[in-house]
Formats: sequence, C-alpha cells, structure tokens
Amino acid sequence: MELKEKLNILADSAKYDASCSSSGSMRKGEIGSAHISGICHSFSADGRCISLLKILLTNVCIFDCKYCLNRRSNNIKRAMFTPEEICTITLNFYKRNYIEGLFLSSGIIKSPDYTMEQIIKTVELLRYKYHFGGYIHAKAIPGANMYLLKKLGSLVDRMSANVELPTEDGLKLLAPDKSSDKVSKIMQYVKNSQNKNFVPAGQSTQMIIGASRETDLDIMQKAEDMYQNYKLKRVFYSAYIPVNQDKCLPSLITPPLKRENRLYETDWLLRYYGFKVSDLLDDDNPNLNILVDPKASWALKHLDEFPKEINKASYQDLLRVPGIGVKSAKRIIKSRQYFRLEFKDLKRMGVVLKRSKYFITCNGKFDLNKEFLKKEFIEANLVLGEKANSSSNIYQLELFHE
Amino acid sequence: MNNSYEYDASFLGLLSLIKYLLKGKIKPYNIIKDDYQVDLFTNIIKVKVTKDEKVMDFFVSRFGSQTMHYVYYVFLSSYPNKEIVIYYYLLNYLKYGPKVIYKRDLKCVRKVLELNKKVGNEAHKLKGFVRFRELKSGILYAEINPDNDILELLAKHFMNRLKNEYWVIKDVRRKIICIYDTKKIYVTEEDNLKIIDEVSKNEIMFKDMWQDFYHTIAIKMRKNDRCRLNFMPKKYWPYIVEMEDER
Repeated sequence: MELKEKLNILADSAKYDASCSSSGSMRKGEIGSAHISGICHSFSADGRCISLLKILLTNVCIFDCKYCLNRRSNNIKRAMFTPEEICTITLNFYKRNYIEGLFLSSGIIKSPDYTMEQIIKTVELLRYKYHFGGYIHAKAIPGANMYLLKKLGSLVDRMSANVELPTEDGLKLLAPDKSSDKVSKIMQYVKNSQNKNFVPAGQSTQMIIGASRETDLDIMQKAEDMYQNYKLKRVFYSAYIPVNQDKCLPSLITPPLKRENRLYETDWLLRYYGFKVSDLLDDDNPNLNILVDPKASWALKHLDEFPKEINKASYQDLLRVPGIGVKSAKRIIKSRQYFRLEFKDLKRMGVVLKRSKYFITCNGKFDLNKEFLKKEFIEANLVLGEKANSSSNIYQLELFHE
Repeated sequence: MNNSYEYDASFLGLLSLIKYLLKGKIKPYNIIKDDYQVDLFTNIIKVKVTKDEKVMDFFVSRFGSQTMHYVYYVFLSSYPNKEIVIYYYLLNYLKYGPKVIYKRDLKCVRKVLELNKKVGNEAHKLKGFVRFRELKSGILYAEINPDNDILELLAKHFMNRLKNEYWVIKDVRRKIICIYDTKKIYVTEEDNLKIIDEVSKNEIMFKDMWQDFYHTIAIKMRKNDRCRLNFMPKKYWPYIVEMEDER
C-alpha cells in the first residue's frame, strides 16, 4: 500500500478524537520547538483547529466498541504505519510548517502491551534519532503494563486515555471490552508522576456526548471528579457522530452540537470561573438549558444575589456576572485601583453590556431603567440575544426536541 | 501652520525624533516618514537628530521595557498615524506614569491597546499559517502578505524552530525578505536575492499528502464554514497551500 493511501485511511480513522491542543510545553530540539500557548496551523471545513498530525498507528482493533468506526466487526480497509513512515510524514509536514507536532493514537493490535510498544518505538525514533522537539500527544493504551506508561510519559508532551462514557452502565452497553478502572489507573499514575520531564503539558480525556442515556449532570460530575482527582488539563466533549448502525445506538440525523457547546461552556465555568457542578445542575434539573448559556441560566435563578457593584465586587463575584469574562474581570480589578469605573469604561474593556447591564451597577447606578429588571424580561432578552448570534439550524431543530 | 516632523522610517529614527520633541516641549501636528504625501497646508520640518543605539537605552530606562514593547508593536502596525499615537502615548506616560495603560478614556491609550492586539494576533496567526515549500536547492521558502510588518517577529519564532534549516520568508507586500542561514537572520530588500522558485522532487508528494489529510480530517456532519472563516480569514488563503482548490 502506498504511503499516501495509508495516511488517508489512518487519518480518517483518527478524526473523531476531539483533542488537538498543542499548548503547555516549552520543549526544544534540533528540529522543532513547542510553543507555550500552542499554535493552530489550519482550520478544517468543520471549523476545528488543525494543530497536530492526528493519525492512528493502525486501525486494526481487537475491540468492538459500538460507536467506533474501527470496531472489529466493521468491514473497512485496514492499514498500519511503520514507525519510520510516521517519522517521515511528521518531519516533512513539520518543516513545511503544516503542523505543530504529532498526535498518535491507535487501535488495539494483538494486545495493549504490543500496541503501546509500537507507539513508544515511533516516539523514541522521533525524539532520539531525529531529535524532534515538536509537540507530541500520545494515547496511553488502557491495560498496558505500567513500565510502558512510564517510558511513554518521559517522551511525550501530553498523554491521554479516553473515558468515552461517563458511567459504567454506558460502557457496558457500548464498549464492553473497556473498563473505567483501567483508565483511572492510567490517570492516577500520570497525576502522580507529572513534572517538567514527564508529560509536561498534562493529561486530557474525552467523553462522547449523546451516544448513551447519560444526562448532562452525569457527564459534568464525571468531569469535575476527574479535574479534582487526577488534575486533568482538559476534558473534551465530542458530539456523537453516527458512523455505525446498531440497535444500542440512537439514530441521529444531526450530531448534538448545541449540547456539546453547552457542556464546553460549563467546563469553562468549572475551570476558570469558580463554579461547581452543583451550582448549575442537580437531580431536578439534570440537563443544561439549550436556550441560554449556563452562566446566564445560573444568574437568572439567583437574581437575589445581584446587582454587583463594579467598583467594589470581588474578582470571584465579577466572574459570576453574565457578559463579564476572565479578561474583563481582571481588567476591572486592575483599572479600578487607579480610577473609578463608569459604564463607558466597561464597554472599552470588553464587557458585554447587552448581557451584563441587568446584573451590575456602577457607582450605585444601573445602566437601564429599573422597571426592566424583571426576570421574564431579562430572560427573554438573554435568549433573544443568543438567537441572533446563532446561525446554525441545529439550534432550531433542538429547540423543538426539548 | 501645521508643523509636521519628518523621520527616516526606522524605529530608532522615530525614537530619536520623539526624544528631541519631548525635550524641547514641541507639540507636532504630525510625525511622518520621509516618503509621506502631504497637503499644501503642512509645513515639513526636518530635524537633524543623532541616531544611535544609545537612544534605545535612554527610552528603556525612562519608560520601562514594557512600554517600549507596546510602542514597538504600534510601530510594526499598518496604522497610518502610528507615529503620532506613539508620541502622545509617551507624552501621557510622562504625566501619569506606568498606570497610563489603564486610562482607556485617552484615545492614544485605546489605540495603543488596539494596535498591540492587532499586531500580536496577526503574528501569532501567521506562526501557524506560514507555509514553506522545499526548493530544489533544499532551501525552505515561504511567502506572506500580512497587514502588519511582522516579518521580524516571525523570523525569531522560526529561528528557534527550524534552526538547522536554511529558510527564506518573503513579505510580498513590503517587498522585503528574511534569510536564515542556520546561524543568523538577515533582513533585506527582495531585489537583493534571486530566488529560483523551482520545487524539490519530494515537495509535490508531501504537499499532495497534506492536502489529502486536510480534507480527510474534516467531519462532514459538522461542516461549519462560518466558524472556519472566523479562525482563518480569506485574506490568508492565497498563501495557505491546502486552500488551493477553494480559493
């Protein structure tokens, strides 16, 4: 098989993994260097960033996960790269500045240990023979021996193992060969060993959204749990794309992209805004509101905690205001040391007044007539504001599903 | 009369002139490059200033390196009146000190922030969007057409990254090239180097593989042109090889 055809097959098989970030490492080599903030090199037709050469070592797999294109029972063309072939493509793409590095994953061939050994062989060649200093993200194979994990971790910038589904029930139904224990074991090990020479850019994972019955609460609780216990850098949420027909799988026409988007917003609230999952979701409301973003949704339920006075509120309180992000909150804190802030200053700092004006005062004054401070009115305006920004018909479709 | 002061288009030249203006408490109507087209009502004043490396030391010690970083990025921007923005920013620095950067009610401060963002963003974007092709000689060659003069910023990035390769980047808008010979960077006018733009044997194969990869990696059911355009504006497409068939 020609190298070109192999690349087509093994890129096609790898594309459902959402992660493509290349940040968090400062490695340097004879050829290549990592950039602390990461660099996007291109954007594909689906709008996703292309930063890494995202490929599988092989799409041969002994597992039969229902949702996966590469499952054993699918009749598709199979291929396998040699480690040298991967090096050739990586280095040639890299020096033309097509990519920031390599994201190497694989189907399970023969055994977890064997698969992991092949991944290690490839990365070793890149690092030791070619002195490649670019970013490498490799998948850890659940069930592989711990000494292999140790070896791989010392070579790569990021390592990840996908939990795929947030509950044990989901796994049993859709990925009977996988177990969450094995993934947790990897995460625990990486967490304990992580330093500037071992997985310097940290570990991440991915969950598939909408292939099983889990609620947003299940998903976000699992994410919060992993952020706390394993110090993950990122959890990725990947809207389920129906590549297989199976009676265990939902028959979707469009992937649940808006739901995915809301989960990412929630994820950001957990990581940067000081929110807890219990602030946003509970057993009575186990799913996020599709119509309005989770922070606005929280604010509407807690109108009694507002308004916040811009010239006095703490950083944490500012972050709770819809329309104020991390950047603008920091600017407010910094600027008000020197000057008293007014509404026109806020606009210049990037605060979205259209959203925040219901929740804030400047020097005791609102930026609108108080008769507009009714919950129904605010809610309607926040929802309408979003609708105007959303161009996708998926949004419309889901509106009717709710 | 509108008194406009002329400088030699270099950063050090501009700093030398501003030092002269600030010391003499002179408020210029505008500060212009020596090739600037002016109207009849403008009186051009040429000042003989001594321009040397020491002027940079003076500015860093007086205004701090952070301020000079801001000012340098403004200088790299394509904003037509960037020189007078720099002058007013430094003048206000003398009045308010380092906290001036938080005074967004001043127009010059807003402009400095805006232009810093523009230049920084474009430099960062192009670190990803530059596409080298391998020439027959083995030299890696790229062309760019950025809004701002970011060639030098890019060169520093690639000096770290491709330190054992010979490469050339050409800014087609400003007609300047940057050459790296595995040791040093040289910036010069494009006429000073004849580039034989014939690609190596492997080039077509890897370009072809990359274009295939680009199309393969997109998930059809998630197609989102608006999102792609937001991240990768059309103005960069002519120099991005994988966009060849969509230009």
